[in-house]
Amino acid sequence: MVINVKNLVKRYGDLIALDHFNLEVQEGEILGLLGPNGSGKTTAINCILSLLKYDKGTIEIYDQPMSPEAYDIKRNIGVVMQNVAVFNELTVYENIDYFCGLYIADKQTRKKLVAEAIDFVGLNDFTKFYPKKLSGGLLRRLNIACGIAHKPKLIILDEPTVAVDPQSRNNILEGIMALNRQGATIIYTSHYMEEVEQIASRIAIMDKGKIIAMGTNEELKMMIKSGEHINLELLNPEHLDLTEIQALPHIISAEVTDHQLVVKSSRGKNNLIAILDHLKDQNITIGKIYSEPPTLNDVFLEITGKELRD
Amino acid sequence: MQVYKAFFKIIQKNRGQILIYLVVFMVLALLLTNTYNPPQDTDFSKVKVNIAFINNDSDSQLVAGLKTYLDENANLVDLPDDTQKLQDALFFREVEYILRVPAGFTEAMLSGQNVQLEKTTVPDSTSNVYMDLLINKYLNTAQTYTTYLPGLSQADLTQYLARDLAEQSEVTLISNGSHSANAEKSGYYFNYLSYSMFAILILGVSSVMLVFNDTDLKRRNLCSPIRSATINFQMILGNLSFAILTWLVLISASFVMYGSFMFTPPGMLLLLNSFVFTLAALSISYLIGNLVKSRGAMSAVANVFALGTSFISGVFVPQELLGDNVLTIASFTPTYWYIKANNEIAAAVSFNADTLQSIFTSMVLVLAFGVAVLAVTLVLIKQRRVEA
Repeated sequence: MVINVKNLVKRYGDLIALDHFNLEVQEGEILGLLGPNGSGKTTAINCILSLLKYDKGTIEIYDQPMSPEAYDIKRNIGVVMQNVAVFNELTVYENIDYFCGLYIADKQTRKKLVAEAIDFVGLNDFTKFYPKKLSGGLLRRLNIACGIAHKPKLIILDEPTVAVDPQSRNNILEGIMALNRQGATIIYTSHYMEEVEQIASRIAIMDKGKIIAMGTNEELKMMIKSGEHINLELLNPEHLDLTEIQALPHIISAEVTDHQLVVKSSRGKNNLIAILDHLKDQNITIGKIYSEPPTLNDVFLEITGKELRD
Repeated sequence: MQVYKAFFKIIQKNRGQILIYLVVFMVLALLLTNTYNPPQDTDFSKVKVNIAFINNDSDSQLVAGLKTYLDENANLVDLPDDTQKLQDALFFREVEYILRVPAGFTEAMLSGQNVQLEKTTVPDSTSNVYMDLLINKYLNTAQTYTTYLPGLSQADLTQYLARDLAEQSEVTLISNGSHSANAEKSGYYFNYLSYSMFAILILGVSSVMLVFNDTDLKRRNLCSPIRSATINFQMILGNLSFAILTWLVLISASFVMYGSFMFTPPGMLLLLNSFVFTLAALSISYLIGNLVKSRGAMSAVANVFALGTSFISGVFVPQELLGDNVLTIASFTPTYWYIKANNEIAAAVSFNADTLQSIFTSMVLVLAFGVAVLAVTLVLIKQRRVEA
């Protein structure tokens, strides 16, 4: 096991940031730590990295207790923080070389690793640039390169795509998956469910300092009652009697917003024909129809009663 | 040595600001020390005082002898014995001293009686004292002869007086004039050095500490397998190297300007004193570097601290001209003791146990400042390290 966290409690005065937090991370997986802002993701990461003292619990990494002095464990960890942490006075190359040098003493090996990291994040044309000259996306890539240049076995990325444009975000996500394919175990925290869905092999959903659900994407969606969402565009919704649709079998909810009727039905059952028949009886014209599988937001909504992005 | 290397890369990135202080110092030091001319003892020239000599006695040989003696040592201005004209002459400074020989002077002198000459002078004039000395010298010598050689003829007395008062003593200047000038000039140079040293060290050290104390960078460093002690060691090594490099650059001009003087005992003492001061300034800069939070604050503190301590400690205005209260406040800064030691080194003609003890006491106090401030800084760092 790569990480084993048991009953972790962290308090800030009266506020409980981590409430008996438990986490197990297996070798070779990408674990997505998903939760709204303030749910305790960063606090958990900081405790795991021994950057924060905690009140209770145990943390083991590679079966060794983690502490600020656990230098042998730290040697195998790469960290990409939520905030960009680079030297503005050093060039792109010098920055990556500096952080890689904290882990790798041999100059030749380091030179090779730095070159690979630069290549990996696609900063080859910017090696002599100072960070202030880089765009937001390039800066994030530099931040990642500084964290992974020494080829760590465990990489912890704390919301690395905050304030990044969609194209750069995709590049970053593809890069993370590539690192995983090269053998790295990854913990990826985010409040963007799409990102986590896209890359994580296992997802832990956090709220109020504890993990409220954990499993693969499919496993999590299987946990909830709602199945697919049927979306119908209605051209004359004024004639619609919503109560009749809500009364149909297997229907969990039905809502109309503007000209859009969204019907949530229970898992495994399909009521599309019954709905269409009903709309036909009411002389309602349909524009287009499509259906969506449930999202992680639905999972979060069903478990906590609130949206992930609340 | 990643931290050590990064230290100097950050310094290099801030070199513009640091170089400004270096250039300002070099220009100031060169201008001020080279335009300074210490008083030259060897340039002394004798100036004669304008006096009026009025004789109400008979034209005796003794009076003539006195007049001749005064003529050799002062300018006799011929004025009529008219009160109004004599007062006008004094007012317009045609003369500074009017000597009147009263009637019966010769007779009284030869009989050994006390004689009082009358004088009218310009108030508060230093020439009065000089003339009094000359006249007393003549009269005392005459009185000595009349007391011990009663019956001495007036001609002999006048002759003896002329011979005795013509005696001159040869004075040899023992101290080396050129040496003193160099000592004084280099003293000024090393005084100015304290201002630039402080400003450069505060700017340099603070600019690096600001970067390394950034919370995100600090956390990233803490995640690495490098021990905090190793990072601190490299940081202290970087600070020391930077301070010594700055010291070497700042003292280099003194070797160009004062040449071989810098290898003499006072020159070496000035160098030692400046090195000790560098260590104390580094320590204070390290504390300031750990306290300031922004670049703006860094520049402000560098200016206020370097200029403030320099002004009250006697870098720009000599300590002798500063008030007691100011000096009392200044004595709580190392700059004061550094300047004090510099002044003592520059003023000393030779070094004995007393002068050396005073100089080394000042140096020890400067060093003590450095150690005390460093201790405070280390406690501060330890307290902040609790949670990054």
